[in-house]
Parts: sequence; C-alpha cells; structure tokens
Amino acid sequence: MSATGSSNPEYVNARVSARRATLFDEEDYRKLLRMSPDEISRYMEESTYQGPINRLGSRFSGVDLIEYALNAGLAETFDELLAWANGRLYEQVARYLRKFDAWNVKTAVRGVYAGTDPEAVEDDLIRAGEFDDALLDQLVEAESVDAIVDLLDGTIFGDPLAAAAEEYDESGMLVPLENAIDRAYYENLFEGVTSASGAGPESAYAEYLQAEIDFRNVRNALRLARSGAEVDPAEYFIEGGTLFTPEELSTLSRNRDQLVEHIRESRYGDELAGALDEMAEADSLIGFEHAIDAALVEHARNAGHAHPMSVCPVIAFVLAKEREVDNIRAIARGTQAGLDPEEIRAELVVE
Amino acid sequence: MFENALQVASLVLQDASGPAITSTGMAALAVGLAGLGAGYAERGIGSAAVGAVAEDDDLFVQALILTVLPETILIFALVAMILA
Repeated sequence: MSATGSSNPEYVNARVSARRATLFDEEDYRKLLRMSPDEISRYMEESTYQGPINRLGSRFSGVDLIEYALNAGLAETFDELLAWANGRLYEQVARYLRKFDAWNVKTAVRGVYAGTDPEAVEDDLIRAGEFDDALLDQLVEAESVDAIVDLLDGTIFGDPLAAAAEEYDESGMLVPLENAIDRAYYENLFEGVTSASGAGPESAYAEYLQAEIDFRNVRNALRLARSGAEVDPAEYFIEGGTLFTPEELSTLSRNRDQLVEHIRESRYGDELAGALDEMAEADSLIGFEHAIDAALVEHARNAGHAHPMSVCPVIAFVLAKEREVDNIRAIARGTQAGLDPEEIRAELVVE
Repeated sequence: MFENALQVASLVLQDASGPAITSTGMAALAVGLAGLGAGYAERGIGSAAVGAVAEDDDLFVQALILTVLPETILIFALVAMILA
C-alpha cells in the first residue's frame, strides 16, 4: 500500500501462503505435459490465471495467449503483493521487485541492439516493477541506447547505465550495459537490509541475497567461459556475494574443474552436490542452471520457514511464482515445437 | 523542609491503615494488563486471519476461533478478580 505505517508481515504472509498453495505442482505439470497449447490455456482458465486468460482470450490464441496471460498474471500477482504490504515490508518487497524494472530495461536495450520493432519488445515487458506504464512505453519507443539512458536519468539505473553506455559505444557489446543494470539492482537491494550479521530475520534475508548474487556470478562466469569470449569475468563481477572475490572468479572461470571444486567446498556445497555431479558428467550447462534455480527456491523457502515474520516468505513466493511461469511457458513452447514430453520434463524446475 | 522530611514520611506511613494497593486494586490491574496482552496477541492473529479469509472464505470459522483464543487469558484474570 505504502511505505508509511508499520510493517504487516502477518497479513501479507497469510495471503502469500494461501497463494503458494494454489501454484501449479508436480501433478499439474504432468497433466499439462500431455496437453495441446489450447488445452493448456483452457486449464489455466480454471486456475489463478482466469482473469488474464479471459481478458486476452478474444485477441490471442494458442501459445501467444499463454505467453501473454503468463506475463499479465505475473504482473498482477506482484502488484497485489505491493498492495498488501505496508511499511518496511513494502519497502523490501518493492526493492526486490525492481528485478522486473531491471528486466524491462534490459529488454528495451536488447531490442534497440537487435533492431527489434517496438511491438515485439513491448510483448516481452513484465509490468510488475516500479516504473509506470508511461515510462515503459517511452522505453519501448526509444531508438538508441542513449535515448534509453536519458529516459532513465534520475532512477537507480541512471548513472550506472550512463557510464556503461560509453563502454558500449567503444566495444559495441551488450555485456557492459546488462551488467551495469544488474549491479545497480543488487546495490539498491542491499541498501534495504540493515544488518547482515547475527541470526535474525534480516540476516537470513541478507544471506539469501548473497546466495542469489553468488549464483548469478557463477552463472555469468560459466557462460562467459563456455562462449570463449575474450572477456574477463571479474570486470562484470557483482559485489555482495561471499563465494568469490573478483580475482578468484576470473582465474576459476578458465578452469571449470577448479570452479566446480570451489563451489563444492563452499557453503552451497550440500545444496548443489547433485547438480555439480551431473554437470561434471553430462557437460550440460542448462541442467546446472536449473539446479541453481531450484537451489535458490529451496534456500528462500527454508529462510521463509525459519523466519515467518520477515520478508523471506514473500521472496520465496515471488521466486516460486517466477518458476511456475517459466515452467508453463516451457511446456507450451515445447509442446508447440513437438518436443517429447520427457525432454520438456527435464527443462522444468520443480521443487 | 528537608530536615522534616523523615518525620513527615514516618507520619504518613503510620497514618496509612493498609497496603498502598488493596487486593481488589491489584486484581483490577491484573484484568487490565491481561486485556492489554490479549489485545496485542489478537492484533497479529487477527491480521493473519483476515488475510487468510480474504483468500478463502471457508476459513472464516477457523479464523474467528483462532482470533479469539487469546481472550482465554482474560477468563483467568476474571477468576483472579472474583477470588480477590
């Protein structure tokens, strides 16, 4: 509702746990895997996506309908979270949901870079963050990276993006811009956490954020190492994690075995043991990234159980909801492309 | 004035015919504090209950029962009041 007043975790967490219970589970996914896109949208109509499906049903059909309804449902759910929360809880949730501002800015930048037409870019926006519709529309219409930077002047992304835009002009690569966005987002996130030490709910949240940043660093490093680009991962290191220092990251990303070993010995070792074994065997990055996602959901859920009166359960719900949307999208796209249900099953992130 | 303070104090003490707070007064205090405690407990439970009912109407009865549970502490306070 607003950042004033006192925090109301009781109310928000009661509603959030009810919502969590309505998320699709293993059973639902199994059913969806056997359906055609039209049947999937029909199935979604009987779930929490009823509103968006009905609204968009007359304009779109098939996979497009599913895609739009998923994005609209996501935005709707997160707007509701903000409407429920008050005080400090609102502030923390709002800071976390800026993730979607970051996503939208990235989408706009990528659109400009790839020369995609504004309509296609608009389709990919998730209107869940703090930017209002007017600003988002302007971002979509922007014709150059500089125009985007000008539009974002005064927001948390303004200054970092302006600095990164110069680098972009020189190198013509997107990576500096995207990393500037990520960094701005995470820096802002940590400002909302008062203490990172001790054993209270705040430190559990801080620990979760550290895990998220660590996993992002791991992912970036692995991707860069794999693509073979001549970029030093340390340049794009996101501060705040505990797993690496920038120097460690740049040496480790060149040698994957060492990187795996480093993760195995860290505090995430137990959570990720299975995924690491799999990656060492199958040589597949996708499987590992899914395992990272699943570990993150698990981590947030544990923090939420341990501290039910903090922001943790809300964050756990946000993550679980995102995974749900990803999963349904994967099923719809996969089915349309004629993939085998078993193959699609491997793409899902189910707790 | 200060020289006399001790004498005045002892006079006052002698004058008092009983304890500063009578047992009825103490019992009244107990009821008041218990009410305050029950109110604080219901604040949290109540807002969680409203959240749960907003998501699912069927929970209304359970939510109502859980919300008034802290009132039981007041019954004890009333017993204390009667006994006092």
